[in-house]
Amino acid sequence: MKKFLNVLVVLLLLQFSQGQRLDAEDTVDFSQDILPLLAENCFACHGFDAEAREADLRLDTLDGATGGDAGGGVVVAGDAGSSELVDRLWSDDPDLVMPPPETGKSLSKTQRDLISKWIDEGASYDSHWAFVAPKRPELPASINAAGSEHPIDRFVQHRLAAIGLDAAPSADPSTLIRRVSLDLIGLPPEPQEVADFVKDWAVDSEKAWERLVDRLLESEHYGERWGRWWLDQARYADSNGYSIDAPRSIWKYRDWVVDALNRDLPFDQFTIEQLAGDLLPNATTSQKVATGFHRNTQINQEGGIDKEQFRIDSVFDRVGTTGTVWLGLTVGCAQCHDHKFDPISQKEFYQLFAFFNNQDEPSIKVYPPGTDLDALTARRDDLKDQMNKRFKDVEKTLQKWEEGLGETQKKDLGGNLTKVLAKEASKRSFDDKAILLTEAPDLLNDNQRKSFQALRDEYADVNRKINDVPTTMVFSERKEPRKTTVYVKGDFTRPSEEVAPGTLSILHEFDGDHDSVNRLDLARWIVEPNNPMTARVVVNRVWQQYFGVGIVATENDFGLVGARPTHPELLDWLAVEWVQSGWSLKKIHRLIVSSHTYQQTSQMLPSMSAALGVDADNRYLWRQNRLRLDAELVRDVALTASGLLSRKKGGPPVYPPIPDGVMGQGQVRRSWSVSKGEDRYRRGLYTFVYRGTPPPSLKVFDAPEGFSSCTRRTRSNTPLQSLTLMNDSAFFEFAENLAQIVEKEGLETAFQRCTSRQPNETELSLLRGLDKLTVARALLNLDETITRE
Amino acid sequence: MWNSNLLREETRRHFFGRAAASTGSLGLGSMALQSLMDQEAGAAAKNELVNNPLAPKPTHFAPKAKNVIFLFMAGGPSQLEMFEHKPKLAELNGKPIPDSFIEGKRFAFMDSSHRINLLGSRRSFKQHGQSGAWVSDLLPWTAEIVDEISIVKTLQADLFNHAPAKLFMNTGSGQFGRPSIGSWVTYGIGSECDDLPGFVVLQSGPRGPRGGAVLWGSGMLPSTYQGVPLRNQGDPILNLSTPQSVSPDQQRQLVDVVNQLNQERLRQTGDGEIATRINAYEMAYRMQTSAPELMDISDEDQETLDLYGIKDPNESTYARNCLLSRRLIERGVRFVQLYDTNWDHHGGPTETLEKHLPSKCKDIDQPSAALVKDLKRRGLLDDTIVIWGGEFGRTPMGEVRQNTGRNHHIDAFTMWLAGGGFKPGQVYGETDDFGFEPVENSVHVHDLHATLLHQLGLDHERLTVRFQGRDFRLTDVHGKVVTDLLA
Repeated sequence: MKKFLNVLVVLLLLQFSQGQRLDAEDTVDFSQDILPLLAENCFACHGFDAEAREADLRLDTLDGATGGDAGGGVVVAGDAGSSELVDRLWSDDPDLVMPPPETGKSLSKTQRDLISKWIDEGASYDSHWAFVAPKRPELPASINAAGSEHPIDRFVQHRLAAIGLDAAPSADPSTLIRRVSLDLIGLPPEPQEVADFVKDWAVDSEKAWERLVDRLLESEHYGERWGRWWLDQARYADSNGYSIDAPRSIWKYRDWVVDALNRDLPFDQFTIEQLAGDLLPNATTSQKVATGFHRNTQINQEGGIDKEQFRIDSVFDRVGTTGTVWLGLTVGCAQCHDHKFDPISQKEFYQLFAFFNNQDEPSIKVYPPGTDLDALTARRDDLKDQMNKRFKDVEKTLQKWEEGLGETQKKDLGGNLTKVLAKEASKRSFDDKAILLTEAPDLLNDNQRKSFQALRDEYADVNRKINDVPTTMVFSERKEPRKTTVYVKGDFTRPSEEVAPGTLSILHEFDGDHDSVNRLDLARWIVEPNNPMTARVVVNRVWQQYFGVGIVATENDFGLVGARPTHPELLDWLAVEWVQSGWSLKKIHRLIVSSHTYQQTSQMLPSMSAALGVDADNRYLWRQNRLRLDAELVRDVALTASGLLSRKKGGPPVYPPIPDGVMGQGQVRRSWSVSKGEDRYRRGLYTFVYRGTPPPSLKVFDAPEGFSSCTRRTRSNTPLQSLTLMNDSAFFEFAENLAQIVEKEGLETAFQRCTSRQPNETELSLLRGLDKLTVARALLNLDETITRE
Repeated sequence: MWNSNLLREETRRHFFGRAAASTGSLGLGSMALQSLMDQEAGAAAKNELVNNPLAPKPTHFAPKAKNVIFLFMAGGPSQLEMFEHKPKLAELNGKPIPDSFIEGKRFAFMDSSHRINLLGSRRSFKQHGQSGAWVSDLLPWTAEIVDEISIVKTLQADLFNHAPAKLFMNTGSGQFGRPSIGSWVTYGIGSECDDLPGFVVLQSGPRGPRGGAVLWGSGMLPSTYQGVPLRNQGDPILNLSTPQSVSPDQQRQLVDVVNQLNQERLRQTGDGEIATRINAYEMAYRMQTSAPELMDISDEDQETLDLYGIKDPNESTYARNCLLSRRLIERGVRFVQLYDTNWDHHGGPTETLEKHLPSKCKDIDQPSAALVKDLKRRGLLDDTIVIWGGEFGRTPMGEVRQNTGRNHHIDAFTMWLAGGGFKPGQVYGETDDFGFEPVENSVHVHDLHATLLHQLGLDHERLTVRFQGRDFRLTDVHGKVVTDLLA
C-alpha cells in the first residue's frame, strides 16, 4: 500500500515539475512560449486596447516594448540584464513588481527565465501562429517499420516518440464498430451487424473498415448525428426565449442542416448559404431557409420593452457567434472596448456589426419540392372565377327563395345556413356564398350541386396547398441600409462614429471597395482559402468530437490567450487537406476514423503507467478517450437497444413523454401534449426544445438550451442523471421493452444490444437470477451503455 | 487553481481515477486516493475532487457564513410602500417629477402606461426597534425583527425588464448562459450534504418566475452546480420516485447491480469517471429517501408551525417553503432560493397597490420574519445569510393602467439581509426625497454579489471560470465588498 502511494506521488511530482513545455528546445519560440505569457499577464494594461493602456506602454509590439527607434522602452533586445521589464518581473517591491499583486497574476520562475532568455536571444516578435495562413507541412517519417503510414498517425506518433511514448494497440473490432457507429451516425450497431463486421475484420480488417465507414457515411442518420454538432453552434431551439418563450417554427432550418450534411455540401457553400443565402443570385427557397442560422437568436416578447434594444442585442449575438463559429475568435469581447488580448478594435466589431444591421427578419412559407406556386395560384383564381360565376347564375333564384322565407323558417334551417342568412346579402363572404349554394335546398339540381361541390373541394384543396405549409424564420436584406455607428461601451443609447461594413485587419484582406458591400461579401471572405482561421477552427472542432478535446483545447478561442495546439503541424495539414479536397466534411471524417490514432483502445493498460507520468491528460493521444454520450444519444441508444427507435427523418419537432409539472416552471405555462405513434420514439434531435424549460432528460445530460452558440458541451456526471436513467417514465418504458427482449432473446442479446459486446462470466453471474425488468433497467443504466468507449 | 480550467479539472479527475483503478480494486483505490489527496493538502490539486464534485472545498479566506437563503420577491416589490418613508413624495402627490431626475432616462413601458407624476404612498409608516428603522403597516412582523437585519435602501441594477433584470440579480449579467449565484457558491465551496443537491430552489405564487430555469442555471459551470427545484407537487425532485410497479427491494437491487457492473467496467477500463458514476448512483439512491423526509414536515411541533403561520402543513405556500429552507440548511445544503411570484404592481386589474400588494405582503411577512427568528434560536443564523428582495423596485412616479400602480425602477430599491456576519439593526444608504436615487452609499447588485461571496470566504475576483477565451466571474469586471454592511 505504502509503496503504491510512493509510486503515485512520484508520478504526480513528475507531472507537476514538467515545465511549460514537454520538450525543451534550445531557442525560445516567441509565438509558442512568450506571447501567451505576455497576453495573459501583461496585455490587459499594456496591450492592444489604447483606452486601458497604462504608462503609455504596450508590449504587444516590438516598437512598443523597445521604444522603437527612439529607444527608452522596457526591453533592450539582446540584453535582458539592461531591460527594465526583467527588473520589474523580479522586483521584491510591491509597488514596482509586475504584474502588480492586486491583479492576482504572477509569473513563475521558469516563466520569468523564459522571458529573459527570449530577450537575450534578440526579443523577436513573430506573428501569433493562428493569424498566419497554414501551409501544408511535410509529413514526418513513420517512426519505425511497425508505425502507421497514415498521415495523421505519422504526426501523432512522431510527437509521441519525442516524449518517449508509444501509441496504444487497436481496440477490438466490436468496440470499433460501436465507436464509429456512434461517432458517425449516433446510433449503436445491431448485434447482427457487429457479428458480421467481426467476421469481415478477421478476413481483411482494412477492407472491412472501409466498407463499414462508407456505409455509415452514406446513411441518412449521418446528417442527424453531425447536424446536432452544427445546431449546437447555431444555437438552435424551438422557442423564442426570454420570459415569454413562445414556440417558434424554424425546424425547416434544422432539416436543411441535416440534409446539407447528408449531401456533403462543401463547407464553403454551406457557410455562404447560411450567412447570406438570401443574397445569392436567384436564391432558391433552400438557400433562404439556410439563413435561419442567424435567426436562432432569442426574441423578447415581454411587455414594456424597447424593441430596438433587443434587436440590437440579437445583432451583437450574430457578430459574436460568427466570430466564434467561423473565426475561432472572441470577437464579442470588442463590443464595449478594444479587445484586451487580441488585435481586434472596437471599431472593427461595429464594422462586422454593419453587415448584420441591415436585415428584416421575416418568416417564409416552405413548399414541398416540386411545388409550382404560380400554377397553384392561377388554378385557385380560376376556381374562384368559376364559383363566382355560379353565384351569379343563381343570384336571382336565391334572392327569390330567401324572400319567401320567414324568420322561423330561417332558424329552422339550422347550422351554417341560418348564420349566413342572418347576414345582409351584400355582406356575405365568398365562403358564405359557397355555403348557400351547397346547402340551400332546391337551389341547385343534383348534377349542379355535385359539380359545384367538386369545384368547392378542389378550391379548398388548392388553398390548403398554398397556405397550409410550414413556415421558417429567415433573413432578408433591407433596401435602405440602417446606419451603423460605434456604440460607446456597447450601449445602444450612445451612438458615436459611423462605420461601414468591414472585416478584421489582422486577418486576410477584404475586398470591400464596391458600394454594395453586404453579407455575401462577408461570407465569401470567411471561406477564402487564405483565411488563416476558418479551416483550422472547424477541423479542430471535428477532431474534438472524436477525441473529446481539440488539437487546440480552447476550441472557441484561437487568439493570443487561447491554448496552443498540441499538434500544430497536424492541425495545419488537416486544414490545408480539407480546403484542397473541396471542403468535404465526409472526407475529413473518413480520414480521421481510418487512422490508428482514432482506432486505439481507450482502456488503461498496465503498460501505460509511464504515459500517465508524462501526459496524464492524454493530450498527445497515446490512447483513445472514453466519452460519455451526448444527451440526445443517451436517448437514441436506449431507444435502439430496446427496439423502439423510430427512424423517421425530419419534420416538426416532437413531444416525447416528460415528467409532469415541468412546463409550469416558466412565466407562461406551455402545453406539452405527448406525441402519439412513432413520434413518441423519435431521436433526441427531434424533441421540441423550449429554451426556458428544456426537456429535463436532455438538459440533465448537458444538452445546450440554445441561448448562445455552444462549441463544446461539458460532460457532467451527476446523481440527477442516475435518477433520470433509473426512474424517468420514458426510460422506464424503454426498459420494459428491453425486458421483453431479455425474455425472448435472452440476457446476452440484451446485453449486446446495449454495449455491442458479449458479457463476461462475472457480468453474467451478476445479472443472472435477477428479474427481467431489473436486468433491462440495469443494462440501460450501465456507464458503458451511455459511453463511447 | 481558482482560476481553474475546467477542462484540466475534468481530465485530472480522470487521471486520479485511473491511478486508483490500476490497483485492481475500487476499495483500495478509493482509500489510496483519499490519502493521496490528504498528502497533497495545501496543493492546488486539493480543489480538484475525485469522485464528488460537490464535496466541501477550501475557501480563499476564513468564511463568516456557509449558507445562503435568498427570498426572491419576483416582479419587483415596492420599496415605497414598505421601507421607504417619503413624506415629501406624499406632499407632492400628482405633481410631475422634476426633469432633472428623468432626463435621458429610459423606463419600461415608455410607449404606453409610463407616467411622470409623483405618487405618494398611502401606507402609514412607523419607526421600529432600537435601530428606529421605518417600516410600513404592510409588514408588522418584519417590523419586529428590524434589529436583526440590515436594511439596504440604495440597491442599484442595470436592467429594467423582468427577465433580464432577474438574470442580472442572479447571474450579474442580463445575458442568458451565465452561472447563477447559487451555482457559483456551490462551485466555490461545495456542499456539506451528501444526500441532497447543494443548491435548491423552492417556488410559491401563481406561476413560475419570468425567465424560468435559467435563473438557477449553472451556465458555463458543470450542471452539477445548477439549482435543483424542489417541487411542491408530485416528486419533490424530478424522477425521484421509483416507478410504481417497482418494489423498494428491486430498486436497491438495481442500484447494487449497476454499481457492481460499473465496478467491473472500471476494472476493465481504468476510467475514473466510472468511479464518479458509482458515487452518483449511491447519492441518487440516498436522495430517494432523504428528499421525501425533508418535505415531510410532520415532525415539526405546533409552536414552530404557528411561528411561520403554517395552517395546513400539506399546503404548498411561501410559509411552508420558509420552513423547508431551514430544514435544508440544517441538512447541510448550501444555497436555498425561494421564489415568490406576482410582485409586479403596475396598477392592472390584478396588480394594484391597494389590494394586491397588501395580500402579497401578508403571504410573506410573518414567514420571512419567522425564518430569521427560527434560525437564530437554533444557532443557525450566524452561519446563514438570509436575503430578501426582488429584481428591482418601483418608481416614485405613478403608472396609470386601470388603477394606479408603479413602474419598474432600478436606480434605488430596498433589500434586507440578516445573519452571516451582516451588521444587525442597521439601515444603510439614503435616497433623495422621492426615493428616486441614492444620495449616499449606493450599493450596486455587483457589490451585493461581491459582499455575499466575501462572507462565504470567496474573493469575487478570484472565483472564475475560463470560457470562450476569457475568465468569467459573478461580478464581471465590477463589484466591491461593502464592508460597512458587515459586523
